[in-house]
Order: sequence, then C-alpha cells, then structure tokens
Amino acid sequence: MEVVNQRAALLSNYEVLTLLRELESDHLARTKTALRLKKEEEQSGTKVHAPQEDVCENLRTIEVEAIQYLSADYQPTASQSEAGIAQLTKSLSAFDLTKSEKLQIVNLAPTEPVELYVIVEELEDRLGDHMDSMLSLVKASLSEPAAPTVNGAPDDAGAGNARLQYPSGNAQVVYEEETTWQDYQVNEEVFDDTGEGAGIEGDLDMDDDGE
Amino acid sequence: MFQLSILKDTVAVHPSNFGLPPEQAITNELNKKYANRVLHDVGLCVCVFDLSEVGEGKVRYGDGFLWYKVVFRLVVFRPFASEVLLAKVKSSDEDGIRLTLGFFDDIYVSQMFLPEPCALQVNFHVIFGQILDIDPNERAFFWLPNSEITSTHEMLDTPLTDRMYIDTGEVVRVRVEHDEFYDDEPGPPKATEGVQQQRERRRPPYTITCSIAEQGLGPTAWWQNAGVEAMDEG
Repeated sequence: MEVVNQRAALLSNYEVLTLLRELESDHLARTKTALRLKKEEEQSGTKVHAPQEDVCENLRTIEVEAIQYLSADYQPTASQSEAGIAQLTKSLSAFDLTKSEKLQIVNLAPTEPVELYVIVEELEDRLGDHMDSMLSLVKASLSEPAAPTVNGAPDDAGAGNARLQYPSGNAQVVYEEETTWQDYQVNEEVFDDTGEGAGIEGDLDMDDDGE
Repeated sequence: MFQLSILKDTVAVHPSNFGLPPEQAITNELNKKYANRVLHDVGLCVCVFDLSEVGEGKVRYGDGFLWYKVVFRLVVFRPFASEVLLAKVKSSDEDGIRLTLGFFDDIYVSQMFLPEPCALQVNFHVIFGQILDIDPNERAFFWLPNSEITSTHEMLDTPLTDRMYIDTGEVVRVRVEHDEFYDDEPGPPKATEGVQQQRERRRPPYTITCSIAEQGLGPTAWWQNAGVEAMDEG
C-alpha cells in the first residue's frame, strides 16, 4: 500500500452523504435480489449458482453511523440540494473567501451572524459590509422545509407563507421539517441522476493552496 | 471534514468472486480492507470513492487469486486544523469533555480549551451520609459568563441560574485544534507466574483535540438568537 496523495480534494458533507446513501440503497437492492433468488431456488428445487457477495461488516457500520450523523436534525443537509450548493459556491466566489471557509459555509450553512463569525476569520475587517448578503445567500440555497419555494420566487415570500400557515410558533415548523425530511428520503432518486457532486467538487477542489 | 485521498495498492480477488464484474469485486476487497479503519497520518477511512487505474489481473504461482494493481480514491474523515464541527457530548471528566460524531468518538476538549472560568460539577448520590456512587452521566462542566471568579470552590458556590452547563448529549460546536496519530504495537504477551497479564489500555490510533474557548463555540443552544451585540459584550 502506498499513499499517493494524502489530501487530493476536500469533500462537502452533502457529497459524502449522497455517496453513502447510494451505497446503502445498492446494498438494500442487493440483499433483496439475493433473498428473491433464494426463494426461487427453494421453489424450483434447483440450485442456480449465483455469485455470492459477502457483506462487509466494517463498511456497513461506518455507512450507517455516518449517515446518521450527517442527516441528524442539527445538520443542514436535510434542506440542502445539489443545485442549491452549486449556486451557493458560485455566488460565494464574489467574496474574498478561502476554500476552507467556503467549504465550511456549505457544510454548516450558517444562518446567524454568530455562526459566520466562527467560520470566517476576522470577519468584520474583511467582509464587514457583506455579512448580511452572505447570510441571505446561504438562506436562499437551503430549500424551505415548510413551504418549498417555487423556482425564482423570492425567499421572503416563502418565509411569509410559513408564517401564515403556522402562526403559533416554532414547534410546528420543526415538526414539519422532520416530515419533509422523510419525504426526502423516499424520493432519493431526485438528486441521483446528476452524478457525483458535479458542480461542487470543482469549486472546492484543493489543488494549489492549502487551507 | 471529509477528504479524498489517492492510494495505490495490490488486491487479490478470490476465484469465488470471478462471477462479479471486476471493478465491483475490487471495490469490495478494498472496502473490506479499509472501511472504518484508521490509516496512519491519513485519517479514518470511510469507503472507496472510485477506482482511478486498475492493472491487468495476474495469477501468481501458488494460489488461484487474481492480483490487481489498483490506484483508487478513498473517502477519508480527517477534519483540518481550525475547522468547525458539530458534535455531541459523550462524557465529561476531570480532564475535559469527550465528544462523539457517532462514527468517530475519539474527540476531546481538554480543560485548557474550555471557556474561562469553567468548573466540573459532580452530582453524588448521598445516602446515610455516605457517597454511594458518582453518576458519570450527571457530571457536567459549566461556564460562568462575565465572571471574575477563578477558584473552583467559589464557582461551585455561585447561584445555579448563572451557570451555563455543557450537558451530556448536547450538540456542541467545536473548533479542531490539532490531531494525533498513534501506532502502538501490541508487543509480546507478558506473563507472570504463568498467568497472562492484562495489557494496559492502548491509546486510540487517532485522536482529535478541539476547543470551545471562543465566541460562538460551545453548545449550539447558547448562541441561538444571540445577536452581534451580545457577542461584543460577552
């Protein structure tokens, strides 16, 4: 074994989650077919020789645990989408941010100034005036969990909708987020077809400068 | 948090896997070897991302395996220094706080990286005047914002309402300070008087040290709805 390049590129949490979900669904599909084949074998009484794949315990463990962490309710991945992230990285290039800062903005999706202060060094001196526009860009890249905005509709309209529907407060909105999250899982294929983080990877690529 | 590492390796594919497409069989072998393992000075391997180059499969004298020379990309967990992570508090003790990400839990916040002033509160179960046990889940550090007190004794006398607790199970935002790799070899088994000695606990192969001694870090609940004004005075 030889390490050619220890850090060839950085990956965003969303990309890793997509990859792991793909592995997971592959695994599920495979166990299903294996089960079906076994049943057919039993019914017909003949032994069909199909290649048997042994399940790798270590891979399954880290797959399940990492998916759990990356899709936890304190992570923004549930409301992120591939197109949203690509759009965000593109618009963030207008600011003078380092690659690692951009990556962390994508990973943590800061919606409050405090969070942005932690990520970006010397925020006030460097980008004091652009803070609000940066935060609104992040907000725009997250799909509204309660009321999905129609493409092109301004973000605050969506927020207004949400407020109209749930005037009583936060509890219901949080609940709503969770249900959408489940829907999201069911419609997994939605983001599968565009390929592995097509637009994202290039932007976050670590080629010349370190972090 | 995650990165791609390019590795070169030689894998053997067992004849029973010849029915599979070769790339699938190779990926399986690589995952079996690397997934959920710590690679020294690289990080915690998650899974194979893709195969970049695969040589011709060769049969060697002595076994029926097909040996492939492979260059591949691996998804590796290795947060870089100064990266901000979200983690859950696993436990607290005199040395500091241990955090967990679910798939990785050798993340520590040592006491010097806690916000000042900070103290550990231990809850005892006292029955008939005797300390019966210390519940490890009941231990928690707390922080006294805007306080000049430095001694632990004085801190434990402060009113409960002033304290900001870091409880077990809470989600905290932390900054990575540094990480360390240890490659402890097991060594020969020691036996005294014919009885095998219990070996001392080995250091975890990969540990990350984090900090929460900074504005905006610590339990996420502390900073929700905290405006910029609050930050400046804090």
